[in-house]
Amino acid sequence: MADTNQSSSVQTIARQARDQSESRQSKSQSQIVWEQFRKHTAALIGGGILIVMYLTALFGGFLSPYGMNEYQRSPSFGFHPPTQIHWRDPQTGNFTRPFVYAVTSSRDPVTFQKVYTEDPSQGAFAIQFFVRRPEASYNILGPFGWPSSLHLFGVEEPARIFLWGTNNLGKDVFSRVLYGGRVSLMIGVLAVWVALILGLAIGGIAGFYGGWVDDFFMRLVEVIDAIPFLFLLIVLATLLKDPRNPIAQAFGLQMTSAQVFLMIVIVLGFIGWGGLARTIRSMVLSLREQEYAQAAKALGASVPRVIFRHLLPGTASFVIVSLTLLIPGFILLETALSFIGLGPSELDSASWGMLLRDATNKGIALQFSPWLLIPGIPIFAAILSWNLLGDGLRDAFDPKKRR
Amino acid sequence: MFSYILRRFFHLIPTFIGATLLAFLISQLVPGDFFTTMAMNPDVRPETIERLRDSFRLNEPVPVQYVFWMGNLLQGDLGLSFDSNQPVVNLIRRPIRNSMILVVLSIVLLWAIAIPLGVYSAVRQYTLGDQVVSTISYFGLAIPNFFFLLVLILMLFYLRSFTSDAFGWNKLLFPVAKMTSTNFESLNAWRQFWDIAWHAVLPAFVVATSGIAGFTRILRGQMLEFLGSDFIRTARAKGLGQRSVTYKHALRPAIIPFVAGIGSLLPGLIGGAGLVEIVYAWPGITPVLLASIGRQDIYVVLGFLVISTLLLIVGNLISDLLLAVVDPRIRYN
Repeated sequence: MADTNQSSSVQTIARQARDQSESRQSKSQSQIVWEQFRKHTAALIGGGILIVMYLTALFGGFLSPYGMNEYQRSPSFGFHPPTQIHWRDPQTGNFTRPFVYAVTSSRDPVTFQKVYTEDPSQGAFAIQFFVRRPEASYNILGPFGWPSSLHLFGVEEPARIFLWGTNNLGKDVFSRVLYGGRVSLMIGVLAVWVALILGLAIGGIAGFYGGWVDDFFMRLVEVIDAIPFLFLLIVLATLLKDPRNPIAQAFGLQMTSAQVFLMIVIVLGFIGWGGLARTIRSMVLSLREQEYAQAAKALGASVPRVIFRHLLPGTASFVIVSLTLLIPGFILLETALSFIGLGPSELDSASWGMLLRDATNKGIALQFSPWLLIPGIPIFAAILSWNLLGDGLRDAFDPKKRR
Repeated sequence: MFSYILRRFFHLIPTFIGATLLAFLISQLVPGDFFTTMAMNPDVRPETIERLRDSFRLNEPVPVQYVFWMGNLLQGDLGLSFDSNQPVVNLIRRPIRNSMILVVLSIVLLWAIAIPLGVYSAVRQYTLGDQVVSTISYFGLAIPNFFFLLVLILMLFYLRSFTSDAFGWNKLLFPVAKMTSTNFESLNAWRQFWDIAWHAVLPAFVVATSGIAGFTRILRGQMLEFLGSDFIRTARAKGLGQRSVTYKHALRPAIIPFVAGIGSLLPGLIGGAGLVEIVYAWPGITPVLLASIGRQDIYVVLGFLVISTLLLIVGNLISDLLLAVVDPRIRYN
C-alpha cells in the first residue's frame, strides 16, 4: 500500500519536472512568430485565399474551358451573358446531371443590344468533365511545362459554356480571368524582388558608409518621390516598351512580349524601392554601431560581408512584412497600367486590368453587360488578401502585440 | 518660424532640380523625336524640319537642351507643343485646373468622412459599428479606384431602373461622366459652379476612398492611444464632459499625423485621380498626358511632370509648415 503510494508520488514529481523542463525550453524566433501568426484568423483566411488564387492561376489552362484568345467570328458570341446551367430535367423536374442549352441570337428592337435566347429544340448538352479540346491547348504549369489540351469541363458544340459571359469579341471571360491571374499575380511577386534588391543594396550601402554616399542616395530617393508615381510609371512604361528606345537599342532588345513583361516588372520595382531603401538605411545606421557589427569589422571581415552577412539579416522581419505589403501595391499598379493599355502585350497575354478595359471600351453600355466587371473581383480579393496577410505578419513579428 | 520656412524652401531647390533633371533624362528615352514622324511626310521639305529642329534646339547636345529648357522654365516658359505649335502653358492650364478641382474636393471629403468615422470607432471600440467601420475600411484599401467607380456607375444605372419602375423617376442620381452638362454654356455662373460640383462628387469620393480607409484606421489607433492616457483621466476627473474630452483633449493630438499626412497624400491623390479621370472622362491631367505621350509631344509631357512635381513639393512644404503650427513640440531650429 505504502509502496504504491510512494511510486505514484515519484511519478508525479517526475512528470512535473518534465513539464517544467518542456516549458522552460526556449522557442526560436520563427516558432514564436508562427504561433502568433496562427492566432490571427484574418491573416490565415487571407493566406488561404492567396494559395487558392495562385494555384488556380497555375492550373488556369486546365481549369478554363476555352483558350485565352479563342473566339468565333461567325456566328459571333459577343456580349454573351453568363450561361445558365440547368440542374433539373425539364420533363420530370428531378435533379439530373448539369446541362446547358444552345442559344440563338437576335437583336433587341428597342436597345439594339444583342439578345441570346436558349433553344431547347437542339437538345440538352450535358457538362462533360476531362474533355480534350485541341483548339484550346495550353502549357501545364505555365510557360515552363509541357503542352496539353485536357480541360476540367466543357460542353459539346454548338452549345457553349461561358460561366462569366463574354466580351465584345466573344472571348470567354472566365477563361481569360484564369489566364489573367498568371500575369497579374506574378508581376507583383516579381517586381517586389526588383524593389527588394535595389532597396537592400542601396539602403545597406547608404547606411553603412554614411557621408556623401548616404546623402546622394537619399536625395535620389527624394527626387524620385517628388515625381507623382503614376505619371512616372506611365511615362517609363510607354517609353521603355518601344523597341527604338536607347536602352533597348543598347542591349539589342526586340521587345518581344516576354521582354515587355520583364520591362514592366523592372519599371514597377524601380518605382517602389525608395521607401524600402530609406527604412533599411536607418536600421543599418543603428545596427552598424552594435557590438557584433563592430566585432565583425575588427576581426577583418570585408565590407560586403559585414553589410550582407551581419547588418541586413537584422532587418529581416521588417523586410518580410514590407514585402508582403508592397506586393498588393504592385498588383494594383500593374492593373492600372493594363487598364489604360500600357501593360504587358495584349496579343498573347491577358491580365485583369486588360479585362476590365473591355468593360470601358467605346460603345459599351455597362448596364447591359455587367459581367464584364467580374475581373475586378479577383483584383480586389488578391489585394485584400495580401493586405490581411501582411498585417498578420506584422503583428506576429511585433513583440508588443504578443497574445 | 520665418527662418524655418526659408530653410525648408532652400532645401527644396536641389530636389526640384534633381526631379526636373530626371524627368528630362527620361524624356531622352523617346525614340527619335516628334519630327521623325513628320519627316516621313513627303509634303514637308527637309529644310522646314531642320529649321523646326533648330528652333527647338534639338540638334544641340542633351545638357545644352536641358539648360535651355530650364532657363525658359525659370521665366515661366514651358516651351512650345510640337503638335499644336502653342505654348505648353496654355495647353496644360485647364487640365491642371480641372484635376485640382477633383483633388481639392476629395481632400475635403476625406477629412469630412474619415475624422467622424475614426472618432466614432475609437469611442465605441469593439462595438458592432466599430467592426463594420474596420471591415469597410479594409475593403476600401483594397478596391482599385477605377473598378470602384465602374461599380458605382453600374449601381446608379440599377438604381435608375429601380426608381423608374417603382416611382417613374427616370433620372440618374449623379452624372456618370464628364465635368459639365451639355447645356453648361447657357447656365449662369452660380449654376455653372453647381453643375461642376455635382459632376465632381462621384469621382472625388472614389479618389478619396483609399485615403478615407487608411486615415480612419490610423485615427482610430491614435485616438485609442490618447483616450487611454493619463491626461484624459485627469480631464475626466476634473469633471469635463464626454464631448469636450473626446474632441478637445483626445482628437487634437490624435489629428497631428493627419496634418503631416496631407503631403504624402498628394501624390496618391494626383496619381489616383488619373485613372478615375479616364473612366469618368474628366478633362484632367491624365487623359491629356496619355495623348501627348502617344504623340511624342515631349515638352507637354515634361510640362505636366514639372508642374505636378512642383505641386507635390509645395504640398509637402505646406504640410510640414502646418505640422509645425499644429504641433508645438516641433522646434524650428
